[in-house]
Amino acid sequence: MAIHIGRGIASIEYPTGMNQNGDPSQAWIKVKPDGRIDVFSGTSDIGNGAKTIQTQIVADTIGVPYDWVTFDNSNTDSSPVCTGTFASRATFVAGKAVLKAAQRVRERILEVAGLEMEISPEDLEIADGDVLAKGAPTKKLSVGDVAAAATWGHGELITGTGAQLNPYAAISDPTTGEVDGVPHAAISYAACAAEVEVNDETGEVRVTKLTQAYDVGKAINPALVEGQIEGGAIMGLGLGVLEDSYPYYPSAEHRGDDFGSYYNPSSADLPELHNIIIENPSADGPYGAKGIGEMSNNAQPAAIATAVHDAVGVWVTELPITPERVLRALDARAAGSGPRREGKHVIFDEELSINAVGSGKTWTAGP
Amino acid sequence: MNIVVNGTNRAVESPPLTPLLHVLREELDVLSPKAGCENGGCGACTVLLDGAPRRSCLTAVGSIGGAAVTTVEGLGTPEDMSAVQRAFVHYCAAQCGFCTPGMILAATAYLERGGSTEVAAISEALAGHVCRCTGYLKIVDAVAAARDGDFDLSTTAESPHTTVLG
Amino acid sequence: MKAVGARLPRYDGVGHATGRTVYVDDVRVNGMLHTKALRSPHHHAGIKHLDTSRAERMPGVAAVVTHEDVPLLTYGHLSALGIPADEPLLGAEDVRYKGQPIAVVAAEDADAAQAGVEAVDVEFEERPALFDMRKSFDADAPRIHHWGAVYPHFEGEMNVRQIRKGDIERAFEQAYKIISGVYRPAAIEQMPLETQVGLSVPEPDGRFTIYSCTQALYFSMGVVAAHLQLPLNKFKFVGGTVGGGFGGKVDTATETLCTLLAQKSGRPVKWRWTREEEFLCSSTRAPWHMEIIDAVSADGWILGRKMLTLHDAGAYARFSPYGVTKHSFHHTGAYTIPNLHFDGYVCFTNRVPTSAMRGYGVTSVSFAVETHMSRIAEELGVDPLELRLKNANRIGDTSPNGITYTDPSTVDVLHAIAGATDADLPAPYRDASRDRRAGEWLPEHLVSQLSDSEGH
Ligand code: FES
Ligand code: FES
Repeated sequence: MAIHIGRGIASIEYPTGMNQNGDPSQAWIKVKPDGRIDVFSGTSDIGNGAKTIQTQIVADTIGVPYDWVTFDNSNTDSSPVCTGTFASRATFVAGKAVLKAAQRVRERILEVAGLEMEISPEDLEIADGDVLAKGAPTKKLSVGDVAAAATWGHGELITGTGAQLNPYAAISDPTTGEVDGVPHAAISYAACAAEVEVNDETGEVRVTKLTQAYDVGKAINPALVEGQIEGGAIMGLGLGVLEDSYPYYPSAEHRGDDFGSYYNPSSADLPELHNIIIENPSADGPYGAKGIGEMSNNAQPAAIATAVHDAVGVWVTELPITPERVLRALDARAAGSGPRREGKHVIFDEELSINAVGSGKTWTAGP
Repeated sequence: MNIVVNGTNRAVESPPLTPLLHVLREELDVLSPKAGCENGGCGACTVLLDGAPRRSCLTAVGSIGGAAVTTVEGLGTPEDMSAVQRAFVHYCAAQCGFCTPGMILAATAYLERGGSTEVAAISEALAGHVCRCTGYLKIVDAVAAARDGDFDLSTTAESPHTTVLG
Repeated sequence: MKAVGARLPRYDGVGHATGRTVYVDDVRVNGMLHTKALRSPHHHAGIKHLDTSRAERMPGVAAVVTHEDVPLLTYGHLSALGIPADEPLLGAEDVRYKGQPIAVVAAEDADAAQAGVEAVDVEFEERPALFDMRKSFDADAPRIHHWGAVYPHFEGEMNVRQIRKGDIERAFEQAYKIISGVYRPAAIEQMPLETQVGLSVPEPDGRFTIYSCTQALYFSMGVVAAHLQLPLNKFKFVGGTVGGGFGGKVDTATETLCTLLAQKSGRPVKWRWTREEEFLCSSTRAPWHMEIIDAVSADGWILGRKMLTLHDAGAYARFSPYGVTKHSFHHTGAYTIPNLHFDGYVCFTNRVPTSAMRGYGVTSVSFAVETHMSRIAEELGVDPLELRLKNANRIGDTSPNGITYTDPSTVDVLHAIAGATDADLPAPYRDASRDRRAGEWLPEHLVSQLSDSEGH
């Protein structure tokens, strides 16, 4: 028995927003008479942190402290359309909607403040909850006083709405896949290096380290970005070596039906993690952010598969890389199997191909 | 029958074989223990019985005798959280939050038993608690730091696992 | 203090840590009924006989709903995108996967609801089932839908999502090696800690307040409104706080049936799936089958790619055609490949419908492409980092469907990984950038794919 150490890398990209776009998000904001801010957004928080991120965006865009902002995504009577929390869109697309709504509110605050201060709104700015005359910061009025003046003096409600919609990009030629517009809101990039230990007697693969680099554009909240990267890493580890809804695939029998019979990662599987956050601001995202929530489980399986090859010299290309698959691959290699080589062709995995299993379709390099 | 939940004596009408989880949630409206599986597999229903972690979904209410039941509601309030609760907030150790009450109770018991703050030991101790969101790292870090107890809750902990490149 | 960029604690962090966060299962209303479902015990069967009259008379049972009670039984969640409806809310004539709901029973408690389910009289006629998507094209494959076992409704009524770019035959002719591999990631469970759960409350004004764990409030409201054929003002969705969602909670699994039961009984109706139902009956990530044949040069350029993708939709389409389209747009990974021939199919099998899950459509192709890249590096004896840096997306390169990359970071993230793993990159690779291709980074085969615009 020996433990073999292996390393592998992978680099990936992933689109933000629904593929082909056409997925609106909307928000509206109102200001209370003391200047406190109520945000109404339809974005569900599935643990990704949408409540936090959108609140941060609103606070900075208006220019008030974070704890002045109340975020309400609780119901469809109060909140407008958000297509939803999926497609890595909650920060990038829905965040843009609250950002636009906050910009409107800021403009309205400055207009009312301009009347109160008898200064043109263009010569005013807002910081930390105060409206200040540019270049003469002693002339100031709190946002609370502005909101009070709007409410009790001008008979006005300060509100703002915002909507974000990237237009739908239709497939204009289904034979080539050509589209009539940009089919994503943005694309994000990441890379991963995996280290594994493979036991050549039991076939067990233990992932010992994942080093991962993400271009997040701008980390609106670094702690939440880390949460996505780390949570995704463990899900990617599960995809790589543990999880399978159909352990005798393609059979649909003997499925795991509780936590005892389905192999999900536990804290005991936690490898050493190293997160590298790169901030290349995106042109269109709120504060330059990009969406990385989903891609965070995409790079690990290939990096792990490559590391397993590095460790013991076999390619396992069916996931998860279970002990059984590793042992079978080691046996096959010992029996002399490998890719078929014919001229310049190198053909791996022939036994898995549709050519070997189905009779209705073949797939070859030929025309 | 009467049971003591978070320091309060509560009358229970459910039959003795009713799972404690059901009694807490459906009869007594103590809602922090979560029904993640009702089968002993996830740990989301964990409560402390006289300080020891127990899966309330597998614990018959009639079996607990006079043991004091503690849930996270009883560990601390939003204004006055326990050290482990504060650590979870400061380390951003909850994402969706559904596993969090069980994790916090298990971690509390672990630390009170004198558990080590080594990462491997904490990971092993919490291995029966499923979290699908966090990847466990921030949970482990929170537990390792919790004994210190004194966290600035206006911010979150810098991560030693992260490098930021400009 | 600036909020953006700050490590602020979660907005809901204290609620989570003190157990005060309210999820759907924590909502309390008076007089609530509980739901259980009659589900198909077979992978594929005809329903010969369905009679709920005995169930309706069971003690504690307040309402039973079958396909006959649904105003619009079959609604396509993505019909606006041209993906036609194929999945009935409740099985009517056929069931196509084990666990498919046929009837739901609302009763005073869960045990009474389960007794009601067991009192439904139902008879099946079992049919042959299909599980291996590689056999979906076979002449003797079991017919899962009237059109067979392969989705036929891509644009132009094609049964395939195609990408064609450049000249694949020429790439194969010019290749130093042609390397083929097959990649098969498994279905996995979504496995949120909070199972699918909904609660529908009939209000005195004729509306329904629907407490939902959906990831997409308006999307799910649209689904309920469509099945009930009622306008949106009849519903108030309450949610936004979800106990974990990774794609599967876009499925709107409980809300419509709770509302139909609430309508019929006049009582609030809750349905929380058991963990067993969550494992066996909720949508999984799809199994995929991918075959890649790459034409490569001796020094590690990817000249062309021919790729076949089969996506296992399970028994119904749900979002699968969308997933395969997204997959096709990204089948070159983070690299620029000028000659492409991609065919992607949505295959039906008699397993639980698969659905969106974190990385939908692309998690699969990332595994296939990256493992294949590693194999190519090995076959050619080229350093895996250098192979990737060489073919990396650059500003001005074009995607499989001809879109210009304006902000590609493949080089940046690879450099970061090289630094963190102490890789010793030779000068040209160390100095590589995301900038528009020129000089040694612009070999002849990549000229024609460059876009005219500069990008930004
Ligand atoms: S609910 Fe008790 S262990 Fe899961
Ligand atoms: S935070 Fe969601 S399950 Fe742990």
